[in-house]
Amino acid sequence: MNITQIIFWILSVVALFSALMVITARNPVYSVLWLIATFFSISGHYILLNAQFLAIVNIIVYAGAIMVLFLFVIMLMNLNKESEPRKHRLLKLAGAVSGGSLLLVLVAALRDTDLKHEHALVNEGNIGLIQNLGKELFSTYTVPFEISSVLFLSAMVGAVVIGKKE
Amino acid sequence: MNALLLSAVLGVVMMFSGIWLKSKSAIRNVAIVGMALLLVVNILEMSGMIFFRIDTKGMIVFDRFALLFDSIAFLSTLLYLFLSAQDIEKVGINYADYFALIFFILCGITLTSSFKSLLILFLGVEIISIPLYILTGSDKRNLKSNEASLKYFLLGSFSTGLMLMGIALIYGDKGSFDTNSINLITETPSALIVAGMLLLLFSMAFKVSAAPFHFWAPDVYDGAPTVFTSFMATIVKAAVFIAFIRLFEEAFGNLQNKWQLLMAIITVATLFIGNITAVFQQSVKRMLAYSSIAQAGFMMLSVYAMNAEAKEGLLLYSAAYSFATIGIFAVLIKMKDYTFDGFNGFAKHQPLLAATTTIFLLSLAGIPLTAGFLAKFYMLKAALGTGKYLWLVIFAVIMAAVSVYYYFRVIQAMYFKEGDPPVLQITPVFKWTLVILAALVILLGIFPNLLLTWYYF
Repeated sequence: MNITQIIFWILSVVALFSALMVITARNPVYSVLWLIATFFSISGHYILLNAQFLAIVNIIVYAGAIMVLFLFVIMLMNLNKESEPRKHRLLKLAGAVSGGSLLLVLVAALRDTDLKHEHALVNEGNIGLIQNLGKELFSTYTVPFEISSVLFLSAMVGAVVIGKKE
Repeated sequence: MNALLLSAVLGVVMMFSGIWLKSKSAIRNVAIVGMALLLVVNILEMSGMIFFRIDTKGMIVFDRFALLFDSIAFLSTLLYLFLSAQDIEKVGINYADYFALIFFILCGITLTSSFKSLLILFLGVEIISIPLYILTGSDKRNLKSNEASLKYFLLGSFSTGLMLMGIALIYGDKGSFDTNSINLITETPSALIVAGMLLLLFSMAFKVSAAPFHFWAPDVYDGAPTVFTSFMATIVKAAVFIAFIRLFEEAFGNLQNKWQLLMAIITVATLFIGNITAVFQQSVKRMLAYSSIAQAGFMMLSVYAMNAEAKEGLLLYSAAYSFATIGIFAVLIKMKDYTFDGFNGFAKHQPLLAATTTIFLLSLAGIPLTAGFLAKFYMLKAALGTGKYLWLVIFAVIMAAVSVYYYFRVIQAMYFKEGDPPVLQITPVFKWTLVILAALVILLGIFPNLLLTWYYF
């Protein structure tokens, strides 16, 4: 067991545990804080895969910008206490049944599949470096990159349409 | 490629026309002229005149199937604008922006009908969805519209998350977004591919409102302003079906024995829930929402069957369904009372409107000599062609018979009951477009090859 593996296991445990805490924590603020921990551990995984740029962007965009938005929403809606509405028992049962059916379908489909043990490229391959990412984005993926501008433009138009005072 | 670029540019043009043009009729005329231009340019591409040659690295391929569907969608949108563009005025003050969003949706439709890469599929589905969330909530003073928009947004983004997860799993296995390289034959597919395929199946079923992922549809279609319900229940739904059939044919065609039974179950559930719940509705708008779920069940038959007839049939179905539903919604917008009783005595006061509405309803119910009959016929023929699951076809026929009940309730109210329904002002253009739509429905019902020959030459 070398150092990479040890780090991998620690990061995986932290990621899974904090992800579970996000959905089990009663207080929304704790949820958000655990979510930040999840993002950081996933960024650690990216660094192990030699994708430094992705790791940094993940922290800046998710842990930085989006989390701040989350906290603002929680603050504005005044959710900083344990104000979870009580759910009906039947509703919980229905949720469990439908989630279970999804699991059943997935397991049934996966039953006779091939569980190959392929190894991830750890600490090698330089596809995640910013130089290669930029080259890929502006050569192979130019068209999707440009098309995504339509998506953002329509989202902006939408924000104005919804937000403008009538 | 012509239509993809032009629709994006037209969206921007509409945004500027909102600044520079003061009168609403000028904005409307710009939108209609732009839409006609889009249709013409797409038909030119079908006959080989491509204005822009862009190397997409094989990610987007405009084949006949894609181009023919795009033409159907553009023609339907053009007719939709002729019928309902004036009614969009009443929704809110951002008149030009609504048109801009509609053009952006059409840009997304050209993507979802022609993708060869899962990345483009994702972009296309998102470009369709995000403007739709906005249009659903555009009636800002109406609480029902707000609720519908929020519900649609939350559930829609959840299903987009499922789709992304599926794409990520597939990429993790194959190292490629390309549909052809995903479809390479392997003796036993890997777990990642199967899990990814199922997640994509769920998210696409959500987007086309197939049961058991249909719960958002009635509330959203009911809550959204009726003009936009008309657009999203017809053209957009057909476009997502085109994406659905393309995805499962090109990326997962070799795994057909894995997903065919699942698709059959979804089809049966959709047909059952859509038709049976529609029977109990009191509001025509809500009935049409459930009927759109029921029609989605029929379109699911083509995804289930996945053969040459299924693809032809889906094109015919999308045309027949879009034309008829757009017509009914256009008439519904002019009514003040959306319940069945609101149509009482409609035939006496508006004989032309009642006659055309009857043709549309007959087509939706699948009565012979209308396009809806042949569309349903093609679907059932395709499902029979697979040689499996005969019960599915029998069930679909029974459900089509059930649907006659709730469509004929409207006809009954119009012709055999007394009343004086209040109707908004009706322009000659509106009447003529309705007549053209009804003529198209009957023409396609007698000569479906008028449409389908375009697929082959």
